[in-house]
Amino acid sequence: MTRPRMTPGRMLAYATLILIGIGGIAPFLYLAILSTKRRIEIVAQVPPSLSFDWQVAARNYREVLWEQGMAEFTLNSLIVVSIATLLAVLIGLPAAYAFSRIRFRGSDGLASFILSMRFMPPIAVAIPLFLMMRWVGLTDTYAGLILPYVAFSLPLVVWIMIGFFDEIPHEIDEAAEIDGASHWQILTRVQLPIVWPGVMTAALFGALFIWNEFLVSLYIVNSRSLQTISLGAATLVSAQRPIDWNIAAAVGVVTVIPILIFSLFVQRYIVRGLTSGAVK
Amino acid sequence: MTEALAAPRSHFGRPENTRRTLVLFLGPCVLYLLIFAIYPLVHSLRLSFTDLTAAAGTGRFVGLENYRFLFSDPQFWNAAMNSAIMVGLGVTIQVVAGVALAMFFNLNLRGAWIVRGILILPMLMTPIVVGVMWRALLNPDWGLVDWAITSIGLSPPDWLGSVRMAIVTLVLVDSWQWTPFVFMIVFARLQALPQDVFEAAEVDGAGPWTTFRRITLPMLMPAIVFAAVFRAVDAFRAFDLIYGLSYGGPARGTTTLAFFAFQNGFQFQNYGYAAAVAYAMLIVLAVGTTVLFRFLSLRRGLT
Repeated sequence: MTRPRMTPGRMLAYATLILIGIGGIAPFLYLAILSTKRRIEIVAQVPPSLSFDWQVAARNYREVLWEQGMAEFTLNSLIVVSIATLLAVLIGLPAAYAFSRIRFRGSDGLASFILSMRFMPPIAVAIPLFLMMRWVGLTDTYAGLILPYVAFSLPLVVWIMIGFFDEIPHEIDEAAEIDGASHWQILTRVQLPIVWPGVMTAALFGALFIWNEFLVSLYIVNSRSLQTISLGAATLVSAQRPIDWNIAAAVGVVTVIPILIFSLFVQRYIVRGLTSGAVK
Repeated sequence: MTEALAAPRSHFGRPENTRRTLVLFLGPCVLYLLIFAIYPLVHSLRLSFTDLTAAAGTGRFVGLENYRFLFSDPQFWNAAMNSAIMVGLGVTIQVVAGVALAMFFNLNLRGAWIVRGILILPMLMTPIVVGVMWRALLNPDWGLVDWAITSIGLSPPDWLGSVRMAIVTLVLVDSWQWTPFVFMIVFARLQALPQDVFEAAEVDGAGPWTTFRRITLPMLMPAIVFAAVFRAVDAFRAFDLIYGLSYGGPARGTTTLAFFAFQNGFQFQNYGYAAAVAYAMLIVLAVGTTVLFRFLSLRRGLT
């Protein structure tokens, strides 16, 4: 392929490309810049200057992480998200396999029923889940959050994993079947190594949903020390009341940074997860 | 083990009991969803027939009272209107912009993959933070957007202060976050299209616009409909973005059905009424997605 010459049209295209990139990332950079400012500087410097006083930044983040408790909230979220995601994958994986590989009556109906749970507004179940957890005495515990969250990410996991299992050619498990392998052996020994990227994708999206969710935790969690990161962020930056913008910006950065770090490691799975089910 | 012997054999005569395997593989998932999704949904329906609040002594059965009140409640219709705007206007903007982006990235410019990577980020962000971030950007006194608009000599709208504008601002912020979703799905389909059709069109002398209208767009349609359905549902049930951006205000201007249900359930602790609002949403969702997915599978059968 020869390099096309720089025509005015191509220059315009590249300018557009750069503008799109700026539009995507500038809002987040702006938030990051605000998080390093003094409260009065935000109002006084428009646009904010790019000379940074790192001591002010450190003070803002210290306040957010320790005094406002975001460090603790992050830890809570990491615990809840990892356990709930692990459970959702453990429960969802065999189910997705069954939908993809075992023929049975009502398979399609049951599968689309489970997938339709993906569309359920959390608001429709938040109150009953709260009443349930209160009844069994699990409000204000990790378990009280984990149990409902598994149910939220299960449909996502099943949905994404069916797509990955469907892609594996049937010849592979037929060969294993001839050798006398059971479905359990086919799943764990033959298919799991192949669909490992799919498991990562499913886990990523299950985890992301739980990380961002805060409606259910709003009901279940009363004590400050058990707040999750999105709930903590919500109480610190709610549009209900005036806020200190430097602190709010730091809260935003603290909430988003773990997602960005995580997404760097699993970048290649993200697009696949977002578009799963779309391209047949 | 007589049952195992009598079980239907798979096509290779594997002596495995398929029914037992099914129960072991599907059972946990189905049981889990029954307890933590279906039961709460049923419970919610039951709540919608009661006057339960956080106060003691409530929870009496009141029949269809909540639903009757709902239909005469101007705040409910206000919220329904806002939801319709958020879904209708939002999905329209996101589909048009998403398809345009897909066509643009199909030029395969050098370095475009970096920008594609950037466009993933908004979708991963916590919606509350997206709301707060844009509240800062759109601040009338010191926000970056208003500064930019003013410095090129225009006057910015009152983004979040005017009742009429706030819902449009909400749609725009939602579109900033989720247009990339439509783009990714349409782009994946676009890159997978067979190239010979386009070559044939070029040989036949079709201009770029005709090619797009007559060939590209129809072939992209399944992906567009899929993305639009997902966006419609997610915009309909979104409430955390609103929580961070505008908290339903000003003057209920951004109170959608999801936010209205949340306010009744959490802030006012009218559990019964909130459940009725949630069920109104579920009915709209069920009817909407059933119709759309029937349309979808129909289309898939045709292509």
